[in-house]
This record gives sequence, structure tokens and C-alpha cells, in this order.
Amino acid sequence: MFTKHRTAGYNGYAVQWSPFFEDKLAVATAANFGLIGNGRLHILSVGAGPAAGAVNVERVFDTQDGLFDVCWSEVNENQLVTASGDGSIKLWDTTLADFPIQNWHEHQREVFSVNWNLVSKDTFLSASWDNTIKLWNQNSPRSLQTFNGHSHCVYSAMWSPHSPTLFASCSGDHTLKLWDTNSPAPVQTILAHSNEVLTLDWNKYQDHTIVTGSVDHTIKVWDLRRPDRELNCLRGHEYAVRKVKCSPHSGSLVASTSYDMTMRMWDITTGDMIEIHDAHTEFVLGVDFNLYRDREVATCAWDESVHVFTPRCLM
Amino acid sequence: MTSISTNKRLEQIKDHISGSSVTREHLIHHRHPDDVVIVSAVRTPICKAIKGGFKDVYPEDLLAVVLKAAAERAKIDPKVVNDIQTGNVLQELGGIKVGRAAMFTAGFPYTTTYGVLNRQCSSGLQACNNIANAIRAGEIDVGIGAGVESMTQDYGSKSTPSKVSTAIKTGQEDVFLPMGITSENVASDFSISREDQDRFSAESHEKALRAQAQGLFDAEIIPVKVQQTVTIKDEKTGDEKKVTRDVVISKDEGPRTGTTVEKLSKLKPAFKKDGSTTAGNASQVSDGAAAVVLMRRSKAQELGCTILARWCGARVVGCPPRIMGIGPALAIPAVLKDVGLKVDDVDVYELNEAFASQALYCVRTLGIKPAKVNPKGGAIALGHPLGCTGARQVSTLITQLHHSQQKIGVISMCYGIGGGMAAIIVSEKD
Repeated sequence: MFTKHRTAGYNGYAVQWSPFFEDKLAVATAANFGLIGNGRLHILSVGAGPAAGAVNVERVFDTQDGLFDVCWSEVNENQLVTASGDGSIKLWDTTLADFPIQNWHEHQREVFSVNWNLVSKDTFLSASWDNTIKLWNQNSPRSLQTFNGHSHCVYSAMWSPHSPTLFASCSGDHTLKLWDTNSPAPVQTILAHSNEVLTLDWNKYQDHTIVTGSVDHTIKVWDLRRPDRELNCLRGHEYAVRKVKCSPHSGSLVASTSYDMTMRMWDITTGDMIEIHDAHTEFVLGVDFNLYRDREVATCAWDESVHVFTPRCLM
Repeated sequence: MTSISTNKRLEQIKDHISGSSVTREHLIHHRHPDDVVIVSAVRTPICKAIKGGFKDVYPEDLLAVVLKAAAERAKIDPKVVNDIQTGNVLQELGGIKVGRAAMFTAGFPYTTTYGVLNRQCSSGLQACNNIANAIRAGEIDVGIGAGVESMTQDYGSKSTPSKVSTAIKTGQEDVFLPMGITSENVASDFSISREDQDRFSAESHEKALRAQAQGLFDAEIIPVKVQQTVTIKDEKTGDEKKVTRDVVISKDEGPRTGTTVEKLSKLKPAFKKDGSTTAGNASQVSDGAAAVVLMRRSKAQELGCTILARWCGARVVGCPPRIMGIGPALAIPAVLKDVGLKVDDVDVYELNEAFASQALYCVRTLGIKPAKVNPKGGAIALGHPLGCTGARQVSTLITQLHHSQQKIGVISMCYGIGGGMAAIIVSEKD
């Protein structure tokens, strides 16, 4: 099965499958490659079984500036937050048309990632090009906490899937930092790459394993208990790695996207590249594993298209 | 969205694609246990060949002095040094045997290995890079990159091979050109005027003299005690007799007061009748030695060594032999690209002045701000003992970065047979 959906006029930045519905996919996009102009959040329903290949646009939400990331709420199946180029964070409800139900504007520059707490489920994080990370609760009008420590843009901040207070962040300052919400300063700093670190994700099966991707073209696998050197360095992407995503179904499977216009999959235990998806014709930015259909993957790219498919390595 | 923030956003994304966003700041603050660091860098004074202070000294004498001093300054036991490599261009057998003897004399044990190499004028820098790469590869922990040349003792060949296969030489004459002719080629191909060359050369002397007066070479120079034979006249009898006495040489001999553009403009071209390269706007023929102790950062911490600077890598790039002087204009961008820096990000360029023509060509082509080039003068004033120069520049650059409290430095030179080499170091003096 290979499904292609056009996000006409909008370049894809991020995709996330719903944690509640097996067919729901959120896609964050931006006009004009996110450099200037509007953003659009797409809520898609992707068919399976006899309806495989059918994509139904359930709703779109338009914004004043490009949307760079999206994440579903872990408590309300209809809600999700977006990260915007103008520094704002918006909470949307898919049962309500047009307007966000909450709009926070504290970051001074582009917000590049949002991530919902997977354990306590009552907070989410935002990472911004203003070098800070902020902690939010959807019912609070202001952020709960601001984390300073990076000396360059923060590209991503991701909760540990195993602890309610532990999260990791990565930055243009080449580092990966670990934080505990009980402490204002990072608890650990790892000089992770020889260039900007654009993305990170936690392994869902090993609480001490993190994967990072960088402008230096590499993906590195880290054991937080032995941070002086990476466990594995995965080479293959020909340009900066934009997104890494650990599979929710396998502890050794990682997907990555890159400015080299491919999505690749890796076995991080062996270090082997096991898949190249090169059907996109522009920078590939977003990738996510469907939590329910364990062989289904979605990608989005600057070519204004979303791909939903089963990679050969998972067939 | 204002256009300013749009441009910033575009710049950010562009950096992801070009990978050129390794900021200066990051390079400066980077610390990793596997880094290659420099814990001492020393040199002898540079003396004029034939008639200078080292005229009665062998290159291995000079080498022994710097090897011993390099270990002493690093405060290390010589036995922790795994390997020593020395760059040399002219010595018989590359100086391999006398060099081995010299390192023993300097106190190193036989377990410290020894080797020599020749990549013409970049030999001293290549020696440092070979050591750095061996450390990086995990083959050794501690090494010394050195360079030595006695143009007094070994310049008889004028750096030209005496026996060459005619079959090989035919059609490849450019490889065997005298260096002065390659300088003339650069000057005429790229229109570097005689006046500009002379001005550059006068400035080199001026900067070197000023640095000497301020004592800016003191930290890098190891004074050398030599025996000099001089003729003295008995005042009573009027008889002349030769006596040998100990003299300590602690200063470069090349910088010459009163070197002005006007005076330089009167010199005759040395290589071509209507040429522009003269003895005054070319590097001086000299004797000297230099040595640099490199080790892995984790080892330096284990041994309690003071880290002077970090070795960030080097590049060698080839170019046509007939214009070998353009080498740095190719090698510098290559090494800058490796670490993601731009020409302006570098604080000090230690650019070997083989000839004013080629040095000027490189400065202009790369758009280097003249104030960043050789703030203590270069080979036109200080001299250019071929195999020594690269290692000498490392010591000169480190002391300059420390003195001026600047951070990022580049060492570069052209080398005959057609090529350039460039290396980047970052000062770690806070």
C-alpha cells in the first residue's frame, strides 16, 4: 500500500499519528517553504483494509505563520498543539472549526518542536530558536517553567517515555542536554555532534538510549550511562538529518528524514541501513510510525505531499 | 513576519543544508577527551645561512636542542613520547640517522620511535599533522612533530636533484623550476606589482622588529649555545689568531632595521632580467629547528600538562608546479571548510612568506584582512629554513594568539612541486 496525499500550496514540516485513533494523522505545514506566509494544520483520516489508500481530510486549520511541528494531546483525543514560526503555540480541538482554543505567545523566535508528556500526560514542552525550552500545562495561561542552558537554537525537546520529569533537548550548539523539571539547569550535557543537532528521540524499549540526528549528516545512538562516546554512528544520509523517530514497535528500529530528500530506516543494533524511501522530490522533514497499524509509516516533505505506506523492510 | 526575520529564518535553514554553521564560538569552546592538543611548541632562533650564528652547527645539533626543550617545556618525561617525526628537505638521508642520534642525545629512550619526512616547505607542518593523525587514529598518545634545516650545511644542491631520468623530466620541467621562477610566474600571471611586493616585504621587517623589541618571540625561542670561531687581533703584537668561544644565540637574525620600500626598490631582480622577485622580497636562506609536542587531551589531563592550543586539522591541496606559490589560496579554504569556518572567522594567519608575490596573491584572493597576516612578520624578515618552517610557525602562532588573547589561528604555506598546506589551531589559554 502506498498512499500519497497532496497538501497543495503547503510544504510539509511534521506528521504525527494520533495516540487514540488508528487512522488519524496530523500534518503541520507552511506556505513558501516556511520562510514567509501562512501555516496550515491538516487532520487526515487514512483508510485501511478495504478502504486502504483513501485519505479523507477531516479538517484544516489555518494560521498566520508557518507551522513547524505538531503533537497530539495524550489526555484528550480531539486536541493537539502546534509550534509556529511567529513564536506562538496553539491548542486546537478537532471538533471545533477555525480557531484555536488556546494561544500562548511567549517565545521570542520560531518554535520548532512541541512534545506532550507521555507519562504524567498533564504537561508539554516547546523548544525554540530563542535558545529556550518551555514547560506548559494546557489549562495555564502562562508557561510553568523556562529552561535556559543552550547557547544556540533549540531544535527539539522530548520527554522520556519512562519518567514524568526527565526530558532531553538538542541544539545548534552541537549538544544534547538532559533535564529534570525539578532542576532549572541541565543535569547532563553531551557534546553530541560536530555540527548542529536538529533532532532527537528516546528509545521506547531502553530508558537509557537516545538517538540524535545532525547537520553533520550522521545519526548517533547514545547510552546515557556512558555519555563520553556514542554507541553507534549511522552514516548514509547525504545531507543534514532533520528528524529521527524510534519505532514504538521495535527497540532496534529507527526512521530518519533528511535534506537529501530521503527517509531511511536503520537497525540501530547492527548499525545497518535497511530502507531508503526516495519517493519524495524535496526535503523530507516529518516521519512517524502508526501506533496501531504496526507496519504503517507516514512522511511529509517540502514537495507538498504526505506519503503513507509500509516500508519494504516491514513487509 | 518582517523581512528581517524571514532572512534570519532562511539563513538558519541554509546553514542546515550547507553545514557551515559551525560557529566560531563553538569551535572555541569545544572540549572533548579525544581532542589533539598542543602542550609545547618551541624553536631555535632563525639564523642567516652561511654567515649567521649557526654556520658551524649541524642540523642535528639544533634538532637535539628543540626536542629536549619541547619535552622540558611540556613538563613530560621523554619516555612518554611514543613517536617523533621530523620534517626536512635537504639533509642527506633526510637526516634519519643523525636525527635518531639527536633524539637520544636529547634524552629520549629507544622506545620512542623516530621518522623523517619531506613535503618541501610544508615538511614541519606535515610532521605535526602526521603526529596529530596518529593520535586521532588511536595509534599513539603522545608525539612530537618537528622540523629542521641547515641551509648552511645542505643547500649546496640548491634543492635541485643532481641525477634525474631524462624520460621522466621531459615535459615535466615545471617540477624542477627554481622557486624564484615560480614566484615570477605568480607575479606575472596575477599582476602582482614589484612595488606591492616591496611594500609587503618592508612591512614584514617592520613587524618583526617591533615584535622583537616587545619581546614577543621570547616565549617560543630556546636560546642555543654555539661555539664560534672568530679571528682576534693581539693588540700588542698585531698578530691575528683564531679562537673558539661559546656564544648564546637567542634572537632571530633576519629582521633588518632600515628596510624601506625605497631601499628594496633598488635591488635587482634575482631570477629573471625583467622580473620583480629580488633578494629583498623573497624569504631569507636560513638555519633553524622547531618542535611541537602533541597529545590526546585525556592524556594531557592524566599527565597534568598545560594545554596551549588544540589541533583542529590540516589539509594539503595540489596546484600546478609552475605557480606553486598559490598553494595557500587553495589549502586554506579546504581546511576552513572542514571545520565550517569562514575566512573572517580566523583571528591570525601565519602565512609563510616564501615570496611576497605569492603571499600577496593568497591574501588578496582569499580576502584576508592584512592586519591578520603575520603580525610578527614572516619569512621575508625572519628567514625560511625549509623543513623547519611549518613547525616554527606553530610556535610563533601560539605565542601570538596567547599574547593578543585571540583564539583561532591558521598556519599555511606553499611548497615547491606544486601545492599548499594549511592547518587550524585554537588557543586554549583563557
